[in-house]
Amino acid sequence: MHLSSILGLNARFQLYSYPSNSRRGRKVAGSKLLTKRILRKAEIPIPEIYAKFTTQEDIYNFDWTKLPERFAFKPSRGLGGEGIVVVRKKATRHSSSGQVEWITTQRTRVGIEDLKLHGMDILEGAYSAGNVPDNAFIEEFVGRNKAFRRYAYRGTPDIRVIVYNKVPVMAMLRLPTRESSGRANIHQGALGVGVDIATGVTTHAVWHGNLIRFKPGSKRKLHGIKIPQWNRILEIATACSEPIGLGYLGVDVVLHPEKGPMVLEVNAEPGLEIQLANIAGLRRRLDRVEGLYVESTQQGVQIAKALFASSFAARVRAEAEGGKTVNIFEMIKIQGGQGQKIEVQAKVDSGAWRTSVDWTLAEKLGLLKESNILGTRKVRNPLGEERRPIIGLTFWLGGKKISTAAGVSFRGHLKKKVIIGRRDLTGFLVQPH
Amino acid sequence: MALVGQQELGSAWLHPISYAIRNALTQGVPIDNIVLLLLLPLVAAVIAASRHLIGLRGFGIFLPAALSAVFVATGPVVGIGLFLVIVTVSTFSRMLLRRLRVKLQYLPRMALILLVVVLAVLAILFVGPQIFGRRELAEVSIFPVIILVLLAEDFTRAQLGKSIRIAASLTVETLILALMSFVFLSLSALQEFALLNPEIYLLMVLGLDLFLGTYSGLRLLEIWRFRKLIRN
Repeated sequence: MHLSSILGLNARFQLYSYPSNSRRGRKVAGSKLLTKRILRKAEIPIPEIYAKFTTQEDIYNFDWTKLPERFAFKPSRGLGGEGIVVVRKKATRHSSSGQVEWITTQRTRVGIEDLKLHGMDILEGAYSAGNVPDNAFIEEFVGRNKAFRRYAYRGTPDIRVIVYNKVPVMAMLRLPTRESSGRANIHQGALGVGVDIATGVTTHAVWHGNLIRFKPGSKRKLHGIKIPQWNRILEIATACSEPIGLGYLGVDVVLHPEKGPMVLEVNAEPGLEIQLANIAGLRRRLDRVEGLYVESTQQGVQIAKALFASSFAARVRAEAEGGKTVNIFEMIKIQGGQGQKIEVQAKVDSGAWRTSVDWTLAEKLGLLKESNILGTRKVRNPLGEERRPIIGLTFWLGGKKISTAAGVSFRGHLKKKVIIGRRDLTGFLVQPH
Repeated sequence: MALVGQQELGSAWLHPISYAIRNALTQGVPIDNIVLLLLLPLVAAVIAASRHLIGLRGFGIFLPAALSAVFVATGPVVGIGLFLVIVTVSTFSRMLLRRLRVKLQYLPRMALILLVVVLAVLAILFVGPQIFGRRELAEVSIFPVIILVLLAEDFTRAQLGKSIRIAASLTVETLILALMSFVFLSLSALQEFALLNPEIYLLMVLGLDLFLGTYSGLRLLEIWRFRKLIRN
């Protein structure tokens, strides 16, 4: 990849986030509460807000005992996921003074007094940029979608989508780890997993700037995860751009287990790690969508899917429609005369009509028994004509069981002892290379 | 002083700053103050360059620049020593507060940490000259020390919520930047050039600032960060 394909901090500011983002948009993106207000008006799904705190009185006057079992307590202008307390359930035992207590996702106990103090801290600006006074709010807890259950540690994963010129140009799934203590922020040690824009299937993963294949400490593959409701995720992420007033933005989407995708927050200067997770340069992609006339959200998503599809996208799409892709050379299993299964290399040949098996192999497998011969067919060769048997054959290709009538031929000098003809390839897609 | 006196100056229209400097010197303004003032824009530009060309982050532009000025006043060894002591003390008192489960609001907590830091600095100023036998410690002027103490808040704030590793790497980067700026501030050739050709020197700094502000290429450390992309 050329250096000029990669987006750096200098170019991000000067060429994209500064010229494309309005002052107002940046202000909105800096405040989660403002963002929520605008997104709700634009009818983009967001987690429900239970309470807002702008003054100390709000904190004193709020009836904390009314809080539900699970919720998230957040600063409006917090940076990098700091100052967020997520409560998973009510503690079964109450505190010594008999008050309600909750258990956080990090498995610590918090009581009402702790929450009040945390609220004060937030209002004082302990978590905001430049320590300016801030607002706090309590919102609905978004649990983990079951698609991610095996990959995320405790917290809720989210999907970061970078949108430019109303086109979703790149996406990354962020998985909390033990080290990030349940938070989905890359800089706190969460995993970044690149996602193919066309299909929503994960591709590569980075952790601490290094490419990894498995979830740390396990043998669980991180590529090939299919993110549910992918189209909807891209659409709501793209739809954020206009109402907020940002032409270049990163949208964080969470997948609510029941309610589907929701926008958590937007970012006017999204991080660059996403390039590593996708092994793709952002600058090149931004160049390709710059200046395009994009009429609607749907069109923007379509453009992205056409421009940024990965090499496997076509295969994934075909498989979603019910086809199974096979290569020219495939390992197949053949059932022998005694019911045994033998693995053999086969050549998929759509030029042939009938599947055929090498004579020696067929003999070895016991397929040339009288009872297995279904008939004969005439074959022409340089010496005239001869009759060759047609045998019953059962084999497995790409996990599918196929029972057919196959020819027998002399392929002793050839590497692949079996040819699979188009008669038995119904429902398959053949990858020609 | 002698150098400035010997210099033949042309028209006052071409060298307005040179004339102003010569005037100030004859009025009794200390030459060190003028040199430090003249070099400050360069230090700021150097810090900006190391952010935009190299990719060292540090804590903004003010912290390293202030630190380098402190180093000039106290000498680098004493300056770094004091700085490290202050950072360590503020970090430890913050961790101690958390460990002891003392729950204070943000500003009172910062004030408390400042109190601990002041105690530590006082201890060093009292004990240092006797134990370490360093006369410099006794003679350190108070303003650099106060600046150092106030910097403790920025560090504590920067550490808030961040992992220790990030806070440590930012601290080290700030120190590197401050030392680099200190070297620039104390280069005698540079001091002379700035003093004798202030117009040319300031124009060069201006040019550097403009270049840095419009540079949109990759930073050196970003090339390293994304090396796996380049190889593919």
